[in-house]
Amino acid sequence: MAPPPPQSNRSPSPSQPSGKSEVSDLKSQLRQLAGSRAPGADDSKRDLFKKVISNMTIGIDVSSLFGEMVMCSATSDIVLKKMCYLYVGNYAKVNPDLALLTINFLQRDCKDEDPMIRGLALRSLCSLRVANLVEYLVGPLGFGLKDNNNYVRMVAVIGVLKLYHISASTCMDADFTTILKHLLLHDPDTQVVANCLAALQEIWTLESSTSEEAARERETLLSKPVVYYLLNRIKEFSEWAQCLVLELVAKYIPSDNSEIFDIMNLLEDRLQHANGAVVLATIKVFLQLTLSMADVHQQVYERIKAPLLTQVSSGSPEQSYAVLSHLHLLVMRAPYIFSSDYKHFYCQYNEPSYVKKLKLEMLTAVANESNTYEIVTELCEYAANVDIPIARESIRAVGKIALQQYDVNAIVDRLLQFLEMEKDYVTSEALVLVKDLLRKYPQWSQDCIAVVGNISSKNVQEPKAKAALIWMLGEYSQDMQDAPYVLESLVENWDEEHSAEVRLHLLTAVMKCFFKRPPETQKALGAALAAGLSDFHQDVHDRALFYYRLLQYNVSVAEKVVSPPKQAVSVFADTQSSEIKDRIFDEFNSLSVVYQKPSYMFIDKEHRGTFEFADEVGNLSISAESRESVVPAQRVEANDKDLLLGTSEKDEGRDPGSNGSAYNAPSLNGSSAPSATSQPLADLAFTTTGISGQAPVASLAIDDLLGLSIPVGTAATPSPPPLNLNPKAVLDPSAFQQKWRQLAISLSEEHSISPQGIAALTTPHALLRHMQSHSIQCIASGGQSPNFKFFFFAQKAEAASMYLVECIINTSSAKSQIKIKADDQSSCQAFSALFQSALSKFGLP
Amino acid sequence: MLQCIFIVSDAGEVMLEKQLTGHRVDRSICAWFWQQTISLGDSFKQQPVIASPTHYIFHVFRDGITFLGCTQVEMPPLMAIEFLCRVADVLNDYFGALNEDIIKDNFVIVYELLDEMIDNGFPLTTEPSVLREMITPPNMVNRALSIVTGSSSNVSETLPATTGSSVPWRTAEPKYANNEVYVDLVEEMDAIVNRDGGLVKCDIYGEVQVNSRISGLPDLTLSFTNPSIIDDVRFHPCVRFRPWESHQILSFVPPDGQFKLMSYRVRNLKSTPICVKPQLTSDGGTCRVSVLVGIRNDPGKMIDSVTVQFQLPPFILSADMTSNHGTVNILAKKTCLWSIGRIPKDKAPSMSGTLMIETGLERLHVFPTFQVGFRIMGVALSGLQIHKLDLKTVPYRFYKGFRALTRAGEFEVRS
Repeated sequence: MAPPPPQSNRSPSPSQPSGKSEVSDLKSQLRQLAGSRAPGADDSKRDLFKKVISNMTIGIDVSSLFGEMVMCSATSDIVLKKMCYLYVGNYAKVNPDLALLTINFLQRDCKDEDPMIRGLALRSLCSLRVANLVEYLVGPLGFGLKDNNNYVRMVAVIGVLKLYHISASTCMDADFTTILKHLLLHDPDTQVVANCLAALQEIWTLESSTSEEAARERETLLSKPVVYYLLNRIKEFSEWAQCLVLELVAKYIPSDNSEIFDIMNLLEDRLQHANGAVVLATIKVFLQLTLSMADVHQQVYERIKAPLLTQVSSGSPEQSYAVLSHLHLLVMRAPYIFSSDYKHFYCQYNEPSYVKKLKLEMLTAVANESNTYEIVTELCEYAANVDIPIARESIRAVGKIALQQYDVNAIVDRLLQFLEMEKDYVTSEALVLVKDLLRKYPQWSQDCIAVVGNISSKNVQEPKAKAALIWMLGEYSQDMQDAPYVLESLVENWDEEHSAEVRLHLLTAVMKCFFKRPPETQKALGAALAAGLSDFHQDVHDRALFYYRLLQYNVSVAEKVVSPPKQAVSVFADTQSSEIKDRIFDEFNSLSVVYQKPSYMFIDKEHRGTFEFADEVGNLSISAESRESVVPAQRVEANDKDLLLGTSEKDEGRDPGSNGSAYNAPSLNGSSAPSATSQPLADLAFTTTGISGQAPVASLAIDDLLGLSIPVGTAATPSPPPLNLNPKAVLDPSAFQQKWRQLAISLSEEHSISPQGIAALTTPHALLRHMQSHSIQCIASGGQSPNFKFFFFAQKAEAASMYLVECIINTSSAKSQIKIKADDQSSCQAFSALFQSALSKFGLP
Repeated sequence: MLQCIFIVSDAGEVMLEKQLTGHRVDRSICAWFWQQTISLGDSFKQQPVIASPTHYIFHVFRDGITFLGCTQVEMPPLMAIEFLCRVADVLNDYFGALNEDIIKDNFVIVYELLDEMIDNGFPLTTEPSVLREMITPPNMVNRALSIVTGSSSNVSETLPATTGSSVPWRTAEPKYANNEVYVDLVEEMDAIVNRDGGLVKCDIYGEVQVNSRISGLPDLTLSFTNPSIIDDVRFHPCVRFRPWESHQILSFVPPDGQFKLMSYRVRNLKSTPICVKPQLTSDGGTCRVSVLVGIRNDPGKMIDSVTVQFQLPPFILSADMTSNHGTVNILAKKTCLWSIGRIPKDKAPSMSGTLMIETGLERLHVFPTFQVGFRIMGVALSGLQIHKLDLKTVPYRFYKGFRALTRAGEFEVRS
């Protein structure tokens, strides 16, 4: 037990607080000191302030001291001032009335002689973030921006941005942006310039959703004079400001190739900067600039290779992980360029497993004729690793290399050695791989079967491995002496087999075995079918019944169905579509790379709420499409050089609208270039303005329901019966999916969208809210400028009838494609009209 | 753009919270993070970038202290991580060390520093020399002074003049009675040796560390005898790019005091200075281990602080290890550490012993990896040599000192 804290704790170091009593204690002490001008008062104040702040830091609510703290704040001591600013900044938001008291002394400090105090006061003033105090901000900010000290100007510029977030209209009315624009191009201090850039970018991006002028202003930030001005001074900027400038340059579209080379020459030495963030930002510029020039793009890869590899081996583990994620992306894009550096991807014993996993994937990717042997040798070392997930991963890697490589000979031997290692997880993984290998290279069956035959099925527990073993038993039953008997014993233990997958495979394997060695298998087949028919799992039951009837009908037909001669599989399906990879590449140097997902799949999940299902519905359409894209993807692989270019570019001929997907990588033209980073910023704005935006939209909805007189596109609506929608319709995502699959398209239309609508559609969410106010709910959305895709639904009021809508909007062509499916076909036209009118009002004030 | 920075102690306690934007991040996120970390068992296993249900969290772990950065918006992850590392570096620089007590005792200074380092989520300056001029670090002299005079302000009266100058890393015109520059080559050897003794990979990562104490605004040039062996370089912002590009000469105006001038990489070395030969044979429930250490290619200097360390495989009940030189200890988490110290000239150090395997297992299936540590003073194993160091623009005589050091980085031997 700790002794009870003394009544008045005089030790200057922050002590553990004893709760309420100490707070009131502090309060009375502060009160005593408030008016004191005695010598030494500042020192006692400092101790008290320190205690208050230490309590605040630990998380104790000391906001009740606000009044006393403000009273004590009249001081010339700068440390006291700083602590006071800190305190006030923390609690002003919850005490807006008392915060008014601080305005006075902060404003006075803003006119202090010492620029440091002026700056600090201004910073604190802007950090109060109390909406009804903004009027007091404008004056000091105006002076701050014109201050002759760079420190004050630097603070003031960020202050403008803070003001904008508290009250955008006040900021725009005071016309601070004009001053910022001037400072951006004329201020001698680079930090001021950098802050101007950051502030203007954010303000214009947020404003551009409502004002076309702001959108134009945002474009001018990307214009040649601005970009060149910043580039020419880049070495004077601080390293963090350099990152900001480089991010801007990455969005700049040069007019010709010589410009590209000029920029690259200018920035080349940035690749040697000690700050990894600068290096990565530079790499992004290089990659983006050269996308259209295949040869140069490849040279860029060669050039950036060394800096990236150095980054990985230097710095803290956290830094190397971030770099490694980006390296991983590049290696996956252009493995042949890194094939001679494979040793860099060898795993070290001490590395965390997430790093090892990335490295294993890279090792797999860079394997080619010349290094396969060494890489596989190295991977085999990991199979004996203490870290079991990594051991598994590395065996899988060996298998992947075997499936993509030419010199399979040696690899097969290695895999077979794994089977003899007598470790259950190694055996399991190896079995799965041998199965895949046999599907691709049936010629190896003799060697493999000999080894596989020695494995006792009792030692294999994992469902995947067991299924693989059973598949091989069925497929190669004529080569394996005891296959029928092994299968028979497995059938006997049918009830103990918990995995439906294994039981399914067992059924099929027994069938195959029966066709090859009927007399030996007949008994097992009977038992298997009987067990299958009484199985509680639907799929197993159905398959057993199907086999049973098939055999009843005609045994030779059954053989043709179940066990036809197989062709070797040439290519296994890739798990991640090439378009997604392209998208991630476009978002180089962002979180997307670390998560290996494009940002629309994860960013602002917190705002998504009920729309969380978006990913899965999105996947539906992706998987439907990936079938089309398999062919172009293979074509691309044939030509090494072209591989560097995105597959989306290859498919330029395809009309982005007609393939029914919103997930095309954005085209690389000027209009869409800033979208990558601007989207999250826009989202922020949405959260702040969303609530106020609700009211007017709701009133619109009422007009809309009263009269459908608004002219609607080209659809001549034959005076539809008034249709009312249930404003609180509910449909869960799986029900939506099911319905969407079941129903036929009852209406498919294309319409154009008003320019205001396009301007407002910076994020999918903007439209969601709008449609919601028209009683049309969104179940999933996705995409990024210029392509957006939405799934909506609505319910007829006082009826169960549902309307499902797929809506694809292309903002660059200002067109929307709408597919409507309805339970009730007759009212479909009326709903369509309603949907149209709701959509056409989007973006109108 | 970071929205909030937390500093968390190794017990999961939030020591400091710095909100950066209008969006307030609740500190409950730290509790969530801590739960995640505990569930993994080791903060080392936690990925540096993770997604919580509400925010994306970056974290950097230094000396028991976790620096957390939170954001909701897309941003370059490396920028956040670099920044947090820089915060850790600066605090370390200010307080001489990093631990829970130091942060708690000096939290006001930490707040002040963060205030100058980042505003509204945009990093401003992380240059220690600039920060030092704005906020004076606590030290014995200051403390004594404040007791005597009674006025202790750790904030300097004037703003640094250099915030706008073209050499932001250098404080204005320091004065020294003795002008001296020390240049250290510090190299780390990363190597993987296979069980058959073959060298799988052997790289060197090196740094040129400079401690400069020269009055005025000196302009230095440093050249190497054999710069061509270097594979890739990274420079402190003070290094001019052109002279390196054309003649591989480092030309720079140094920051005052200790700093890292350059880091480099040398790939594919052909040999290591020492060899470690582990041998494991297991049979009938026991495993015999013997490890031999010897000098392979004598670097000509004393090899010092040699250690061999390995993790006992799982399923080992007990270990009985002895050595003919140095000491053997079984540490926590089943780590066996053999500290050899200097390798004697007359005999080869060896360690041997037996491991008892859990009943039911005949042989070992998992073989340990041996991690080797060593230090060699006076030699840079990559072979890189400093040719000369010149001082331009300032007419002083000054003292130059060069040193070299190689130590083991990730040096591992498989068995």
